[in-house]
Amino acid sequence: MARLIVLGGGVAGHTTATFAAKWLGSQHEVVVVTPNAKWNWIPSNIWVGVGQMTKEEVTFDLASVYAKAGITYKQAKAVSLNPEGNESSDKPFVTIEYTSKSKSGESENIEYDYIVNATGPKLNFDATPGLGNGQGAMGTNTVSVCTADHAVHASHKLQESIEKMKAGERQKFLIGTGHGMCTCQGAAFEYIFNIEHELKKAGVRDMADIKWISNESFLGDFGMGGLHMKVGGYVVSSKLFAESLFAERNVDWLIGAHTSKVEEGKVEYELLDGSKGEEEFDFAMLIPPFAGVGLKAYAKDGEDITATVFAPNGFMKVDANYAAGAYENWKASDWPRTYQNPTYKNMFAAGIAFAPPHIISKPMSSPNGTPINPTPPRTGMPSGIIGKAVAHSVCDLMTKGENAHLHEASMAEMGAACVASAGKGLTTGTAAAMTVYPVVPDFEKYPGTGRDTDYTFGEIGLAGHWIKHILHHLFLYKAKLNPGWTLIPE
Amino acid sequence: MNKEIITYPTPLSVEFGVDVRVFDEKLFALIDDLKDSMNENNLEALSAFQIGSYFNVIVIKKEDGSFLELINPRLISHSGREIEEEKTAYYGDISANVSRFEEISIVYQDRNATNASLKVKGSLARLIQRKLDYTFGATFLQKLSADERARFESKLQYGADVGVADYCPTTFFRDKILKVINISMIVMLVSLVSSFFVSDAELLGEMWSYQLYASFGVLALNVIYFFYAQYEGKQYTSCSSCQLGNIVGTFFISLIKLTLLMLSSYYFIHP
Repeated sequence: MARLIVLGGGVAGHTTATFAAKWLGSQHEVVVVTPNAKWNWIPSNIWVGVGQMTKEEVTFDLASVYAKAGITYKQAKAVSLNPEGNESSDKPFVTIEYTSKSKSGESENIEYDYIVNATGPKLNFDATPGLGNGQGAMGTNTVSVCTADHAVHASHKLQESIEKMKAGERQKFLIGTGHGMCTCQGAAFEYIFNIEHELKKAGVRDMADIKWISNESFLGDFGMGGLHMKVGGYVVSSKLFAESLFAERNVDWLIGAHTSKVEEGKVEYELLDGSKGEEEFDFAMLIPPFAGVGLKAYAKDGEDITATVFAPNGFMKVDANYAAGAYENWKASDWPRTYQNPTYKNMFAAGIAFAPPHIISKPMSSPNGTPINPTPPRTGMPSGIIGKAVAHSVCDLMTKGENAHLHEASMAEMGAACVASAGKGLTTGTAAAMTVYPVVPDFEKYPGTGRDTDYTFGEIGLAGHWIKHILHHLFLYKAKLNPGWTLIPE
Repeated sequence: MNKEIITYPTPLSVEFGVDVRVFDEKLFALIDDLKDSMNENNLEALSAFQIGSYFNVIVIKKEDGSFLELINPRLISHSGREIEEEKTAYYGDISANVSRFEEISIVYQDRNATNASLKVKGSLARLIQRKLDYTFGATFLQKLSADERARFESKLQYGADVGVADYCPTTFFRDKILKVINISMIVMLVSLVSSFFVSDAELLGEMWSYQLYASFGVLALNVIYFFYAQYEGKQYTSCSSCQLGNIVGTFFISLIKLTLLMLSSYYFIHP
């Protein structure tokens, strides 16, 4: 019996572990190591963040689901990898530290035959002074919707602001990215329009000034260099699409911005033109930048080989071309296909945990040398697709031997769908629904835009809300491994 | 080389907004073409998109006659708003009142791929914003308010920048009547389908009564729609006579749907 360890229980890790357990059956062991007790459907955190959903509606306990799937579940965080074993054993192992109440702080070494790193990101709040608390967690100056708990906190703060407005006190809302190297602009984009919608519903919209601050160099970049969408038969730039949403809803914006410091009620920023400024706020939701979770790696003799296994940003190196060089040399083929670590063939990375070869948007920096550009999104649909492909590969390696064919899922050959709601109602509000193909532009295959305009389209309308509701229930149903879960696509 | 400038009604290309990645002779040739085309057509600025290139390149003629070359330009911050009348080469002499930022800050690259920035206001800020629209595949049409857009499209229909007394709106109150009619018929359809699962004669009788009363209501709404729609259309001189055809057609289609629904109801529900 061989053992597969999956680090992380988010979209990528959960997909990898559950499919692997199904395909491997009882012949092999699947272990999930994740510090969280609950699975979270992160896209719906937006609705938690405006008080339209509860934490319980977007999460469920992992233990019972993994017990049902025959997966060994360890509520713990991975600390380090020993891909060559140690001096007393050749067997690779991972060192974990338990986070569950009963075993909190205890460590354990677990040997593995294959390991999939799907830890997701570390929410690197401390990369921006004042955004974090100096100890790795979110600070007190802003709110976040990155986790369900953060979203609940954001919802309470939003209610406080609404009460103040009802009492006649004007409020300034600042939503966007908290650093020049953030990703997940889409989540902040969705949140700002949900806030706008909720303020309208509460009858206090006229008491609120809402402003977007982002590291994108144009509205609608979304970390993908923007996209050309078919809307009602016309091909429209995501820039115009986004600009019209901001204009219609009277939301101001500031882009090309690196949030350099956060204080109570104020952010300092640097723009792409090198100028610096300040923006005051009463309520701010600023997405933190992502980094690897800080896993270390050691050779058999104890030598630190973290730099061999992981990129400087802490994400795991995979079969990508990390030597692509300057922007003009970037190609779709730089992007990984199998997500196998080039040094240790029994190690894979899935979802946000893999190190991308470069960003997707045009690289930009201020005259002061500060990089201000979105980093590549690899959440949601791509994470699920990659997680399933990696599960396929690992299962084949475990059952057919080390020469088995590896399955591929390049982000340059995969599409993604995104629904950005502006409210939760079934009869009111509108959502922007977009599909993009491929996620990473392929300028050789699709000269010019790099994307296939037949499969890249968007719509604005109420139906987007219905789609988001359907996705919410569908993916929670799938993640709970209810009957027919494998039939639901990633 | 002087290039043909794309003008209305030639549709704009669906290929646009492509950042220049390689700064080579091809780019320089494109910039030269833009300058030649501007000189030939006496234009103060031109976006590469206007001569059929998908690259994000804008050339502007400065007051001293020299050219400002903006490669991969981005508008990153702004202040103030003002509405002014604009014309653009794509629509020739037809103008529109466009809301623009008064002052903008842009970043761009020069022909050596060096990053640069520019803070401008007034007419130059307006001009750059108009050209930026093109680099992302649009014209000022997409920046117009709903009313101004309707007026502008009316001018386009006349083919001249003449004063248009009024314009034909894109939405009418009559559409709301039509919506009520359609929703009512959907409810009737649901009732019809539900009857397939009902065997109780008394209940079927009640369902038939509902269908009957609902059909009277829908019929009455159709009649109201028919007359009100024509009255509403006549309030706007710019609304063309083809609207009457649409109203009559919509009225008869709705009646046909109602007839089919009632025939089916009579056959399946009527006790």
